[in-house]
Amino acid sequence: MAESTLALRARGVRMEYRDRSTRERLVAIERMDLDIPHGEFVAIVGPSGCGKSTFLKIVDGLLPATDGEIETGGLGKGPDHAMVFQDSSLFPWYTVMGNVSYGLVCQGVRAKEAHERAMPLIRLVGLEGFEGKYPYQLSGGMQQRANLARALTVDPELLLMDEPFAALDAQTREIMQVELLRIWSQAQKTVIFVTHQIDEAIFLSDRVVVMSARPGRILADISIDLGRPRALDLKRTAAFTAYEDQVWKLIENQLTPVGQGSAQG
Amino acid sequence: MTAASQAMRPVRNPRDRQHHSPLVRWYRRNERLILGLVGIAGFLGFWEFGARAGLVDTFFFSQPTAIAAAAVNEVQLPRFWGDVQASVFEFLVGFLLAIVTAVPLGIIFGWYRRLSYMANPWLNLFNSLPRIALLPLLVLWVGLGVESKIAVVFLGAFFSIIIPTVQGVRTVDRRFLDVAQSFGASQGRLFRSVVAPATVPFIATGLRLGLGRALIGVVVGELYAQTTGLGVIIIKASNNIQPDRMFFAIFIFTFAGVVGVQALRRVEHYFDRWRPSLEEQP
Amino acid sequence: MMSQALRRTRQGHPPSKRRHPNADQGARFTVPNEPLVYGVIGFILVLVLWEVVVDVGLAKASLLSSPTRIWTAAVADFGSGVIWPQISTSLLEWIVGFVLAIVVGIPVGLALGQVQRLEFLVEPWIYGLYATPSVALAPLLILIFGVGVEAKFAIVFLEGVITLLISTIAGSHAADRRHMEIAQSFGASRSLTFRSVTLPSSVPFIITGLRIAAGRALVGVIVAEFIAANVGLGFYISLNGTTLNSSRVMLGILLLGVFGIAVGQLIQRVERRFERWRPAIH
Repeated sequence: MAESTLALRARGVRMEYRDRSTRERLVAIERMDLDIPHGEFVAIVGPSGCGKSTFLKIVDGLLPATDGEIETGGLGKGPDHAMVFQDSSLFPWYTVMGNVSYGLVCQGVRAKEAHERAMPLIRLVGLEGFEGKYPYQLSGGMQQRANLARALTVDPELLLMDEPFAALDAQTREIMQVELLRIWSQAQKTVIFVTHQIDEAIFLSDRVVVMSARPGRILADISIDLGRPRALDLKRTAAFTAYEDQVWKLIENQLTPVGQGSAQG
Repeated sequence: MTAASQAMRPVRNPRDRQHHSPLVRWYRRNERLILGLVGIAGFLGFWEFGARAGLVDTFFFSQPTAIAAAAVNEVQLPRFWGDVQASVFEFLVGFLLAIVTAVPLGIIFGWYRRLSYMANPWLNLFNSLPRIALLPLLVLWVGLGVESKIAVVFLGAFFSIIIPTVQGVRTVDRRFLDVAQSFGASQGRLFRSVVAPATVPFIATGLRLGLGRALIGVVVGELYAQTTGLGVIIIKASNNIQPDRMFFAIFIFTFAGVVGVQALRRVEHYFDRWRPSLEEQP
Repeated sequence: MMSQALRRTRQGHPPSKRRHPNADQGARFTVPNEPLVYGVIGFILVLVLWEVVVDVGLAKASLLSSPTRIWTAAVADFGSGVIWPQISTSLLEWIVGFVLAIVVGIPVGLALGQVQRLEFLVEPWIYGLYATPSVALAPLLILIFGVGVEAKFAIVFLEGVITLLISTIAGSHAADRRHMEIAQSFGASRSLTFRSVTLPSSVPFIITGLRIAAGRALVGVIVAEFIAANVGLGFYISLNGTTLNSSRVMLGILLLGVFGIAVGQLIQRVERRFERWRPAIH
């Protein structure tokens, strides 16, 4: 009964793969158990190569896991989940409209209707007037807005975000964080947000899941009790920096001084 | 005053002084075109007057006015138009056949990795040899008629198109395939929305290369199996020592090559409009 | 609301139904060095099929020949030595013409790239010649130089030099703006800028040019020998074509393919030597 409010239930997810050149078996994810209730915003942080992006791809079904179970539960009519990919994963050969309506078209919705249904989301992310532009004509921040709208258009229960702001400059990144919270509060989605920026994770989420270096497993699951709505000046409060210290200490212990296996993203 | 002003240096571009006359500015804007036209006129002039002054051997090279006269004479002959028709027909049929077979096959080979590995040695072998060398074999198989020329045009273009096409499919960005899969795109949708657009620029390159090869196929096919066509005019004119007629026929091929490449550029440009336009390269 | 059941979307590890062409992540079975293994399989498969089709009489051996028949022809002609003059003559024609094209094409191309106005002047002629299937000029060159090797040198040179000119000019404009600005900012002289920025940036273009030119030069050799020759591989192929000896035609074609592949490998070596600073793609 309590389970019925879960948007994601992961049990014992394990990921191994074989290194192409050395033919060694590597464990990317040791064991992941994770429950996420509907409507929650959860960030996953960890050192590079800890398998956080891999976990997201497993949830999305892009990668088959070696072992474990994942359940995603939808409440409404839309699909379970949709992914906001890393930088410049917009199709360069489609306009903003073509990209944003892509998920609907994949579901078999006819182009005209898909365009009509995509329009409110283009408006929501603040791209009205840019529907006919190609990705190369947009700034990095605008591209990520379109990327977000593309995932929202299919009305998913669970939004999977894979370091979506990693390639943006510092100011744009902060603006996008505020924008994301605004959009999230209107769209009422569950979010898993993978990032390596600690302040971004704390600022955005209700919970921060800290992962260990490879093989990845959950080190800590920290509730962020900072109230909402949040504004950027929150980042300069003592409560915020206390969280930052707490998370940073956990990650710091994972990093060996030089040459630790960070070559793999 | 002096110390300060000596350290100063002008930072304005000396080339765009305001007081240049409009004529100079107009020249600067169109320099490439003007110099190109000057180059053409200069060379033709040298050819013509060099021939008249005995500097250019008209026995081999004729002269522009004579070539023009031969052209005027030639276009009034029904036989000439028959030759044009034959060449155009061979080119079109062979080139179109190459497109409709090489593009789908290239996509299939690109998509099924193991199949492409199996086809690779043969593709490489054929791509490494001059396909016109197959001409005697083709004549052996289908005779001296129009079929052998169509076949050599086809072979010339086919390998130039299929190789970039395979490469295009094989280098589709993994991220875009992930996106399509993530949104549950069907195989057909995956193909139409990701593979096809990403491969089109490669196909376009192949078409441009293939066009040149196809034209070579027309010429060589007609030089080899001398029945009808513009290539036959070249070889007959050469045998009869009529350099004016020969140059006229050669210029027709030049014209066809230039027009064809420009037309394909247009097509390429249309399919590439989602790409930031780089400087046009040759 | 009581039992709004969770949908189980995935259990254990499901086999991925959709496929990525570029990745073998769900690796059910892996063969070491797949391209080689499948390549050999594909190569042999076609050879066997060819042999069987001819041997059981589905196709005429006189037209299609077969791998064993080509082998027999090779043993005979290499044994008696009649093929060596054909190979050496064609090789000589190719090497002399191609080396001349390199010696002229690359320096002139670099010079034209530096003197913009000169480039504008000759541009239309270069592109015109490039668009012309230059084999169309073969009869003229044979008329001028006769039936011997000199005409072939000229044809091969012409085929090679135009391609090299075009790609070298393109290469000399290919330098990255940022790198040019760095040189300028450090006050590099014109010749130093040329040596330190322009030349290294043009290398990939020149190498592409070499690759294309090598192929076109080979086309030149063959076409010239088709039209007028009494020795050479083109002559060998065409003669055996007219005497309906398809095995020998195929042998000649095969030798051309082997030669083409060898030249491709050679150019790849040169490329590696010059491109050591570039990260390998893959």
